[in-house]
Order: sequence, then C-alpha cells, then structure tokens
Amino acid sequence: MSPDVKAMTTELIRDAGSLVFLQLGEALRMEGQIEAAKKVARTGMERHPELPEAHDLYARILVSGKEPDRASQIWHELLQSNPRHVGAHKGLGFLSYSHGNLDVSRDHLELALAADPTNQSVIQALRAVRNAAEAVTEEYPSPAQPVPAELPATPSTATGETTSLFAAFGSGDHGILLVDVQGRTLAGGLKTPGGADGSSETAAHLAGVSQEMERTARMLKIGEWRWLVVEATDGNVHLTQPAEDTLLFIVRDRDVPAGRLGLLAESAGAKARAWLDGQRA
Amino acid sequence: MTARLQRALGGVTRVRGVRGALIVAREDGLVVADALMEDIRGNAVAALAASLTRRIGEAARASGVGTPQFLHLEATGGALLAAAAGDEMLVVAVTEVGVNVGLVRLEMFRAAEAVQ
Amino acid sequence: MSRTYSVEPWVVDPLKGFVAEADARMVLLMTPAGQVIAQYGFTRAVDVMAAAALGAAIVSAAGAVARMLDEPVFSALNHQGKQHGIFLAGFDTPRGRMVVLVVYGRESSPGLVQLFFEEFARELVAKCPEPEAPKPILAKDFERDLNETLNALFRA
Repeated sequence: MSPDVKAMTTELIRDAGSLVFLQLGEALRMEGQIEAAKKVARTGMERHPELPEAHDLYARILVSGKEPDRASQIWHELLQSNPRHVGAHKGLGFLSYSHGNLDVSRDHLELALAADPTNQSVIQALRAVRNAAEAVTEEYPSPAQPVPAELPATPSTATGETTSLFAAFGSGDHGILLVDVQGRTLAGGLKTPGGADGSSETAAHLAGVSQEMERTARMLKIGEWRWLVVEATDGNVHLTQPAEDTLLFIVRDRDVPAGRLGLLAESAGAKARAWLDGQRA
Repeated sequence: MTARLQRALGGVTRVRGVRGALIVAREDGLVVADALMEDIRGNAVAALAASLTRRIGEAARASGVGTPQFLHLEATGGALLAAAAGDEMLVVAVTEVGVNVGLVRLEMFRAAEAVQ
Repeated sequence: MSRTYSVEPWVVDPLKGFVAEADARMVLLMTPAGQVIAQYGFTRAVDVMAAAALGAAIVSAAGAVARMLDEPVFSALNHQGKQHGIFLAGFDTPRGRMVVLVVYGRESSPGLVQLFFEEFARELVAKCPEPEAPKPILAKDFERDLNETLNALFRA
C-alpha cells in the first residue's frame, strides 16, 4: 500500500463522511486494486448519493474492472441529470473509442471540451480520436485499444518483454518509450526524476507530434524530418521515427551529449524495428 | 528596441549556412524581429516553431525533464533550431544541411541573452 | 455535435483542412452582412446567429474606424483572452467579400491561425465558383431559403 493510500484510508476511517474517498478510490484504481476501489466508491455513493463525482468514479473503476456496459449505463444516467458532466462525456468518449465508434467518441469529447475548455486530458484525448479518425479515413487498419490521456489508467499495459526491450542502454537513463502516432505505448517505459511512471502521459502528449514535425518540415521546405533533439532544464530528449507510424522517445540526463544521444537512438531504433517486425510477422 | 533585436540576430545570421533567424513571441507564434533570406516565410517559421516547441514541451514536461531550452529539428534538407529567450520569447533559426550547429546554438543563446 | 456544415459544398474541404491545421475550436464563414456560409464547432443555431451578427458588427465597426483614419480596411483582428482567442478576418472572392470568425484555445496560437487562415482564404478563392445572376427575392422564397440554410448548417 502506498503512503498516500495509507494516509487517505486513515483519514476515511477517522471521518467516514469525508470526500477523500474520491481520491482514495481513484488511487486504488490506478494501483490496480479494483475490488478495494469498488468497495470505497460504493460506500462513498451510499453516503453521498447526490454527488455526481462518486458515480463517475465508480464508472471509471468498472471500466478498469472490465465492466464497460455497467459503466456506460452509469455515465448515461449522469448525463441525464447533468448533460455537461465532463467525466461522463470523457468516459463515454473512451468507451466509444474502444469500440471503434470514432464519431460518437469525438462527439462526447467535444462536448466535454465545451464544458471544460481548459481540460488538457480532454484536449489530448480529442487529438488522439481525431488522429484515429483520419487514419481510418485513409484506410489504415481500425484503431485497437486506445490510450486517451488519463483513461482507463490501469497501471500499465506493458508486458515484461516490452518494458525490458530497451534495457541496458547506457548511463543517465530515464527510459526509452516506443509509441504509435496516436499516443499509445508500444514498448519501453519512462521514469520521472521523482520515480513515477511517466510513460502514459508522455505517450499521450506525443500523439500528433510526428504530424507536427512533418508539417513544419514541409512548410519550411527543409525536406523530410529525421530527428528532433530537445535540451531541457533537467534532461535531454531525442525523438525519432524508427518505423512508419511510430516514435521513439529517449530521455537522458543533461550531461549525456546530443551526439551520443543520436548514437543511442540509432541502436535503440534498430532494436525497435526488429521488435516491430517480430510483432507484425 | 528594434535595432537591439536586429543586432542580436546578426550574430546568428553571420554563421555560414544560416538562412534566417527570428525572435518569436512564444505564446502567440508571431514574429517580433527577423533577419531572413527572401525565400523564407517569417510568419510560417514563427508560428510553426512556437507550436512545435509548445507540443514537444508538453511531452518533455510529462517525461520529467522540465522546460525545453533548445530544440533542434533535423530534416533531409536543413534544420529548424529554437532557443528559449526567457519565458516569453524564442530565438529561431532555419539552416541548411551541414551547418555548424554548435556555433549557431552558441550565437542563438547570445541573442537570447540580449533579448531578455 | 460539432461537425463541419456548409450551405456551399465547395467550402467543406478547405474548412476541414483549416480546422485541422489551425487547431480551431469553432469557425464561422459568413458574408460581411452576417449571412452564414459554413460553420464548424457550433452546437446550437442560436449561437451561430449571435456569433454571425456580432462578427459582422465588429467588421463593420472596424471598417468605420479605418475610414475615419483614412486607412484601408483592416484585414484581420485578434482578441486574446486567457483561455480563448478570437480571430476575425476578411478576404475577397469572386462572389464578393467573406469574413471568417475563428475561436481557438491554448492548443493553438494567433500565429498558427493567421498562417493557416491565409492558406484557407487562398484555397477558397481558387475553388469559389463564378457568381450566379441575381434572382428577384420573394418573401416566401426568403423564408424557404432561410430554413434550407439552417437545415444545411445543422442537418436538422
């Protein structure tokens, strides 16, 4: 049990009516403790039946627990009482996207954005859905399981094989992430300096970045983009495209020079290509 | 002000292979000052460089490396470089292939200091 | 639900392209008199009508100020808010002057909107069909035309 979960549990025991159950349920869901999360959410709903956020939380937990139909029903009920509920639109947007209903997904996410125009996770999710819709229009394969930001936040979908794909790639290592152009993690992982898993959030932010680089290079008439290096305050980043429709995102300490980062990217790119070929075979 | 900005850009454009340099308002993606060859569209460079910096900045921050200070997009026919000049401005350069990026980077950070 | 709706089919593709490139949240293409030609992102007819009326009024007021200053008509206006920006610009086509009202969020910028507006306007001018000969306007035709326009803009 993480220290946060422990502290929130203590707080809830001390004050059973506390709204901390919302954060506790979400934290348990993020940790993959679905049954415990359900119990917390159900208790919260009994104590606060008029609180829409309690129902929204329960629906999210149901999705993580592979009960999407029940979750969908709860979100639809929420929308009947509050047609502008952001969480319900986000949730239904995600479920629709999972089922390949891109138009319905986009509609829900646009309504969520209309209700909360500053919600970055909705913006990212909408971007991912729009990209997927474009890909479908261009007769690419239909989208599989998407990763709109924050949803469904099961701890990690990466297998041992995918997380270890880029093991032993030099010092100053913060990780290597292989994502598709819609912001879905394919392999690898990232750890932030605080030790948190930054993979899903970074992957979501990378949705559309390759199109942005392609557009920039095309409009500035500098040919086709090959790679991007970013020197940031706390580390360096290298971004390249090892294969069509994928991006390789490498993060290293600031003292790893850009040239060495390029060499690392070449090796990791070759490894990624081989792995992708194996997956596609 | 304008003369000072133009002087700041002069150091960048003097490097062989630099086709143009600009000072760009980071949030707006608009040109503040420029020194460009004729075939370079300043408004396009400014808007696209600011947009790319913002988009990649979101990913960089999510990965825990903090705020981007320098960005280098390498393409088959040239490169786009952007250096942070405080929180509000960017110094941007468009170069040919094979330019001395180290030297351009140095001049861009000098220009960035002059802008702040 | 926000989709691209237009009473003029030749406008749809350029408008979709503009929305995608500029990352616009809402777009209204209209005449300087406020007659709507196409829209993206608006969910209610009343919002479109209000935005068109206000956009036309701003263009008209800006034109009046320009005349007072002996300046040519302002080509574009931008209002930057904390979370949203509004971009309003006019351009000439073979069918007369058109006005574009764009609402954008923090995922875009005035520079991006301005840049892709220029491309959007160029594309519209290139695709714009020759103007039709004017027909006499009858009250019943006006009402029918108005209903058809609203239906086209919202697929009612």
